[in-house]
Order: sequence, then C-alpha cells, then structure tokens
Amino acid sequence: MQIGLFSVGDVTTDPTTGRTPSEHERIKAAVAIARKAEEIGLDVFAIGEHHNPPFHPSSPTTLLGYIAAQTSTITLSTATTLITTNDPVKLAEDYSVLQHLADGRVDLMLGRGNTGPVYPWFGKDIRDGIDLAIENYALLRRLWREEVVDWEGKFRTPLHGFTLAPQPLDGVAPFVWHGSIRSPQIAEQAAYYGDGFFHNNIFWNMGHTKQMVSLYRRRFEFHGHGPADTAIVGLGGQFFARKNSQDAINEFRPYFDVAPVYGHGPSLEEFMAETPLTVGSPQQVLERTLSFREHVGHYQRQLFLLDHAGLPLKTVLEQLDILGELLPELRKGFAEGRPAHIPDAPTHASLVAARDAAANAAAEPELVGASEAGR
Amino acid sequence: MTELLVVSAGTDPNSSSRLLGTRLGEATSMALAAEGELVSVQHLELRTIASDLTNHLITGVASAKLDEAFAQVRAADGVIAVSPVYNGSYTGLFKLFFDALGRDLMRGRPVLPAATGGTARHSLVIEYAMVPLFYYLRALLSSVPVFAATADWGASAGLDDRIEQAAAAFTRLVRAAHPTKSDPSFEVTDFSQLLGG
Repeated sequence: MQIGLFSVGDVTTDPTTGRTPSEHERIKAAVAIARKAEEIGLDVFAIGEHHNPPFHPSSPTTLLGYIAAQTSTITLSTATTLITTNDPVKLAEDYSVLQHLADGRVDLMLGRGNTGPVYPWFGKDIRDGIDLAIENYALLRRLWREEVVDWEGKFRTPLHGFTLAPQPLDGVAPFVWHGSIRSPQIAEQAAYYGDGFFHNNIFWNMGHTKQMVSLYRRRFEFHGHGPADTAIVGLGGQFFARKNSQDAINEFRPYFDVAPVYGHGPSLEEFMAETPLTVGSPQQVLERTLSFREHVGHYQRQLFLLDHAGLPLKTVLEQLDILGELLPELRKGFAEGRPAHIPDAPTHASLVAARDAAANAAAEPELVGASEAGR
Repeated sequence: MTELLVVSAGTDPNSSSRLLGTRLGEATSMALAAEGELVSVQHLELRTIASDLTNHLITGVASAKLDEAFAQVRAADGVIAVSPVYNGSYTGLFKLFFDALGRDLMRGRPVLPAATGGTARHSLVIEYAMVPLFYYLRALLSSVPVFAATADWGASAGLDDRIEQAAAAFTRLVRAAHPTKSDPSFEVTDFSQLLGG
C-alpha cells in the first residue's frame, strides 16, 4: 500500500492573518513538503498542473526534477497531468527525462483539466476533452513503447518516423494512473489498458466514489487484466488533525469557511458528513481512512491533500508530523485482512521485473527445445 | 407502475405552487388510472433541499438528499414542475434545481409546466421562461400548461377545467413517452468504440 500526498499548488491568502504567500514561497514550500514527506516515510508526492493563477505548478517536471535531486526514495507523481491540452510528444519527452533523472521514481496521473479557458489558450476545445484524452494517451503509450512511431490522428500534426529521445528508463514506460471524478469513459480507458484508476475522493460522497471504482474494476476484469479485485485503485482524501479533535476543528474552520474550492458553501460539519474530509484527532483520521476500503475494496494508493487553502507551511509540516506518527498504524490497518493476491501499485522496479519475467517465459520453450536437441 | 413526480418551488408547505402541483398530480393520476395504469405520485418540494442546492452550486458536492432527489427524477415517467413567479420569472430555487440536475436527466422525459402568481398578468411566464428551459433540457413538453393566479383559487370552475385539460394532455404524453430510467453517469461505452470515435 502506497501512502502519500497530492497538492494542487494553490497560492491562497491565509484567512487568519490576511497574508498571501508569494509564488516563490509556495514553490519552495512544495519542495520542503516533498522532502518532509520522504523524511516521515511517505511513498508518493504528487503535484498538480495548472496554467492560471492562483496556482504555481505550470511546469511540473521542472519542479519534480528539482525534488528528485533532493530526495532518494519517494515516488514522484502528478495530480494531474493534463492529457488534453499538452502535446503528447512533449509529455513523453519531459517525463522520460524526469524518469531518468529520478532513477525510475516517477509515475503520472492523467486528467483532463476543467478550467475552460486553458483549452483555447492551448488551441483546444473543452468539448473535445474526452476525445483528446483518448487520442493523446493512445499516442503517448506508443511513444513510450515503440521505437519508431508513425501516427496520424485528429488533434495533432502527424508523425512519421518519429523516435522518442530519450527512450524511457530501462525501456519501461512510467506507470500511468487515470484520474476522473465522474467520467465513465476515463474509468473505461484505465480499465482497457490495465492502468491505474484514481478517484480524487474529495468533492463527492463515498457512494459516488464507490460506483466509479466498481465500474473501473468490472471493466478491468472484462478487458482481461485479471480479477476485478486486482485492479489498481488510488484514492484521494483530506484531513486536518490535532491531538484534541476540537482544536483541529477550531483551527481548520476559518480556512475551510473561505477555501477557494468549497468555501462559502456547506458548513464544515456538513462537508465532513458528505465527503471524506476528516477534521479531528489522529485516531479519527485513522479510522475514517481505513473505512474507505469498505466502499472501494482493497486498494493500492492513498494520497492526502494537506497543503492547500492558505494553510501556512509550518502548519502543513506539523500535519505531516502527525501523519508520520500515524503511518505505522495506517500501514498495519491497510494490511489487515488484505488477501495475498491483491497486488501492490506497480513501481519502476516491479515493471522491469515483470517485463523481464515475461521475456524469459517467452524464451523458455526455445531453451527446452535446445536442451532436448543436445541430448 | 407509472410514476409521477411533482417538483414544486414554493417556499411554504402550504404554498399555492405546492397546492397546484398536488391538484395536477391527482388529476393526472386519475386520468392515467382511467386508462388502466397503476400510478404513484411523489412530491419533491425544493424548499427542503434549498441549502443542498446552494452547496452543490458552490462546491459541486451533491448531498445524499440531492442524490435522492435526482433519483426521484430518474424514476419518473412524468414530471409536473411548478414554480411561483418572482419578478416576472420562475424563482431562483426552481432554476437552481434544474441547473444541478444537469442536461441528461430531463432528456426525453415528459414535463408538465405550471406556475402560480399574484395576478393573471404573469400568465405567459410559462411560455417565455419555463418552455425555453425545458426545451434546452430536451424534455418532452406537454401542450397544455397551467397558470394559476391568486384569484383563480376563489373563482368558479375555470381553474378546475384547466387542470383537467392539462392532466388529459399530459396523460397522453406520459403514456406514449417511456423515458429512460437508467443512470447514464455509470454507463460504459466499450473502449474500442471510444478509440474509433
């Protein structure tokens, strides 16, 4: 089970002080948070991609490349990489380079992006969102898997005799997750390729998340990648914890009430009841998080949103300390009752091993034949 | 079983919109029963989900109550939609609901629009405000809507006749339509078809 962080990279005024951090501070904070995440033993750090203020991560591979140099074990990922408005050729190039620099500690989560004007700014139309995600990813996969690519599609200039440089590390593409909150086509896409499916699990009730994940699981099996319970599922989630649950609520409420994404709407209590947000004691966070399995089955990756809504860096790092203390219990809880056949999320090492095992298995009949001939 | 859903945007449990909705629901279910149909009538009062609707507007999070309301629409063979007239149009609450519902749930679903107002000067609100909304949602509009002014509730026969006529027209539409009741949000299109698209 992988446990980690995901962040959208928002630059938001701290409502309790009225102070707005600079973009520079927030970019440096992302690095500090990623380093801290590794220090406390988390498995994944993922950053979003945005092309409009108040967000800073317009160039995720630059940020993740820098973080890769400052860390040594944590997997670097995205939440999400825009598969619609980015050129798949440039994505293949950027993430190949990142994969080499990070010695394989890289995977990606693809998403469509829901900021309308970003599409026309990059010459696209939001109404083509699903079609773009499908075509661009089909090309991205080929660029990472075939040495010479000849390709023609609807949205991009054709490629003839194109070879990706650099080729992915060890000839193995980074693992890909597909993130979607409510598009069955994206769950179907993830299932078709046997890729991971990630539900952000922040803006909807658990019942909805459950339906999307079960759709993905069913189709994963349908497309022949194995039993539904072996599909690769990731969930988001968010919490704010203090030793005393009332302290957590009192401290987080002013941030919640005016948060850019859900502020000015439901009360904190309503939002906690309707979505997986937990504000309370570490024990409450532990119990709530471990309850997600009851809805989606045993899964592979749990990412938390902790760095957002104007929370100061100091507070976010304190939240990470709390998460660090909780981590052994979380891992123990996730392992409890987990059948042996439930796979872990693929890593670069496991993908290389699987590729080599498949190659050996294919070569074996020949070896048998050769030894028989030698008799 | 033919299921009718009365959606009313009155802000009082005894509002005239709720009353008109009840009358239209009864008249339609009697007309359907006369054709041999088994009928059930559900009522959805939007005032009971008003804060869920504003929360959904701001956050995109649909509460359990809102999901239940959407499910009621999905299960309906016909929707009777009633709004009071505020400042010359349907109320904000009425619009909030149909905005939250999204485009798919009303598609191909019979709808009988109705409105209530202070005076008959607002009678055309259905034609100039409600009809375009339901056309946009691709609902099947019944040809005889009902507007009730305050004075109608004390007048002889007129409103009753209009309710009867509206129920008769709506009954014909409901019997013919058979809108989809499955949840399109979790339907799968096979990927080979998506790739080919």
